[in-house]
Amino acid sequence: MALGLGVAVALMLAAPQAAASVAAAPPAVPPGEALAQPGVSNDYCLECHGRPNQIRTLPSGELQYMTIDRLAFSTSVHGEGGYACVQCHTAIREYPHPESTAQDLRDVSLQNYTTCQQCHSSQYEKQMDSVHSAALQAGDRNAAVCTDCHNPHYQRRLTDPTTGELWAAARLVVPQTCARCHSAIYDQYKQTVHGAALLGDETHPGGNPDVPTCIDCHGVHDQVDPTTAAFRLSSTELCAKCHTDPARMDKYGISTNVLSTYLADFHGTTVTLFQKVTPDQETNKPVCYDCHGIHDIKAVDDPEKGLHVKQNLLVTCQQCHPDATLDFPDSWLSHYEPSPEKNPLVYFVDLFYRFFIPGVLIPMGVFVVADAGRRLYTRLKKGGKH
Amino acid sequence: MSAQKTYTRFTLDQRIEHVVQLVSFTVLAVTGLPQKYASAPISEAIIAFLGGIEQVRIIHRWAATVLMVATVYHLAMLAYKIFVTRVRPTMLPELKDAKDALQAFLYNLGLGKAWPQMGRYTFEEKAEYWAFVWGTLVMVVTGFILWNPIATAQFFPGQVIPAAKAAHGGEAVLAVLAIIIWHFYGVHIRHFNKSMWSGKLTEHEMAHEHPLELADIKAGTAARYVDPVVLKKRQQIFYPVAGVASVALLVGVYWFVTFEQSAITTLPERATVPVFLPQTPTPLPPTPTPPPVEALTWDGYVATLFAAKCTACHGGAGGLSLETYAATIQGGRSGSVLAGSPETSPLITIQQAGGHPGQLTEIELERLTQWLQNGAPEK
Repeated sequence: MALGLGVAVALMLAAPQAAASVAAAPPAVPPGEALAQPGVSNDYCLECHGRPNQIRTLPSGELQYMTIDRLAFSTSVHGEGGYACVQCHTAIREYPHPESTAQDLRDVSLQNYTTCQQCHSSQYEKQMDSVHSAALQAGDRNAAVCTDCHNPHYQRRLTDPTTGELWAAARLVVPQTCARCHSAIYDQYKQTVHGAALLGDETHPGGNPDVPTCIDCHGVHDQVDPTTAAFRLSSTELCAKCHTDPARMDKYGISTNVLSTYLADFHGTTVTLFQKVTPDQETNKPVCYDCHGIHDIKAVDDPEKGLHVKQNLLVTCQQCHPDATLDFPDSWLSHYEPSPEKNPLVYFVDLFYRFFIPGVLIPMGVFVVADAGRRLYTRLKKGGKH
Repeated sequence: MSAQKTYTRFTLDQRIEHVVQLVSFTVLAVTGLPQKYASAPISEAIIAFLGGIEQVRIIHRWAATVLMVATVYHLAMLAYKIFVTRVRPTMLPELKDAKDALQAFLYNLGLGKAWPQMGRYTFEEKAEYWAFVWGTLVMVVTGFILWNPIATAQFFPGQVIPAAKAAHGGEAVLAVLAIIIWHFYGVHIRHFNKSMWSGKLTEHEMAHEHPLELADIKAGTAARYVDPVVLKKRQQIFYPVAGVASVALLVGVYWFVTFEQSAITTLPERATVPVFLPQTPTPLPPTPTPPPVEALTWDGYVATLFAAKCTACHGGAGGLSLETYAATIQGGRSGSVLAGSPETSPLITIQQAGGHPGQLTEIELERLTQWLQNGAPEK
């Protein structure tokens, strides 16, 4: 991805020179060479498309707004880079334009998004592996393409060009972008411990840089299908990425033992073994989100859903253990390492065996070594006599 | 050596029992330890070889069931020996065993004069037998808890379940290592003792390892004589009682392994939200209200209409300008759009064909036609 960004950045840096050679001359460049030699100036296009209320009616009856906001474009990443309209709209060289075959607004997006690969080939190739691309191939016209997330005319720069990291402000934009299609999930997310910290609510000012946005878990451009067994089994690593990082967790007093304690438990052990041995096979042993929620993750002390509340934990256990009674949740150590204070019984059983095992085996070993030594000694002495 | 007298050490049923215990113990170890040390590469390899963790757990439970059934058999057999044949309880630990152990150890260190004289079961064998009894007890109790956690939590604190898991794992390590260190050394390495397979020990071996038993055998005091009539009487009581007890224990084993369905076998159901639920798209900027018609003239109507719908393209840029009355009358490269009759003028025909950017509505076209019929007045 860093390479892809590098390429994109390099292209953007190279662009002003290209743009400088753009002349207001009539178009004479065949499509395909458009990138090298735009040939048609933006002013030429904006002569019409810069005027307000440029609307065309598509055969479906939908209206397409054809006006480009000159100011917004000039402050977009493409506008700042000095890109020419015809570098993307390669088929349009002059007026009147070639006849559009788009039947509706969706057609317009689906016909145009492939142009992005001219510059953003690595992102374009990544998205071809995404669940969106797969859905599109399967005939779902609603599946997101480049332009659904990135408005090509007004997209501001999202990443710091030197580090390739998302800008803090861009992190806020991510959930809102996904919300355009996944609004029900967004409505859940914004009320969760992560979403509220990022987007803000009555108790949070928002803007917390430590909480995940959508893409921190789902990836960007190559979002995989999150409903597969493979995704489920590997999801613990997604959570662990942040939750085992002391730099992130210490300031909130959150334990970084959550993964190790989970893996030491029956559930975590099973999930790990499934992942390693049969990564595509489903198991019903819980992963993090089965107990904590997927997009509705609440803080553990939340009175309604928080798992520190025993009744809430019981309800969670009963999802898989329908006959569980009130004491059953105590069989789960709640991510605590056994200690004299937390789960003393487990701690003392472990302690007992820590002494009992060597306490039995060492005397056995001493006896066996002495016995073997004696026999060897006797045999050698006998052998010496012969 | 060839024509040595041999003595029966283990009967056939004892040897079969040993094989059953050996196999179930080994299977339990091979399927159990990889679960305790799940992150070790060797564990992964074993689990993959056996067909995945769920399969491993099923095998583990089958082996445990076999071991429990074999234990029931062992108890029944013991009861027969205690109550019917009333043999000497040679496996019971005595003070002499501790003395023997000390003497053997001192001898091995070169501090004792002789290896201890021992009977049917040496202190080493007794240690192993009772360790096995202890281990089986711990494993059965903790195994039950792990097998039936819901039931356990109804009677005990939930924490007993992970504690049982800790004990089950600790005891497993102890048992396997003890077998490797003690049993393997005692009967395989020090001297390969074939009696558990052949059932026999030679006189030489007996004299060396079980001299007191050999002496008893020779003195005729090793086996207790039971009068056949008495034996028959005892058996008549024993068989029904032992039969009922054995069946009860076997039912107990069945109850053990089928007690509860701890968890569902499917994925938990969860409340789902629709994945694709687009937000209401931002509406286009509102289209301007149609200009009011003051008079059907250039100034009164057409100039405003053209400014709204046409001059974006047909302004200064292209050949045709519709910005001023004069320019409109003059027309573009192919002449005036107003030429010809109102119905055949390019203005009307191009618009009526449809699909032209800045498409005029029917009403607007009607008014333009009317305007042309009126002679396209400016004022």
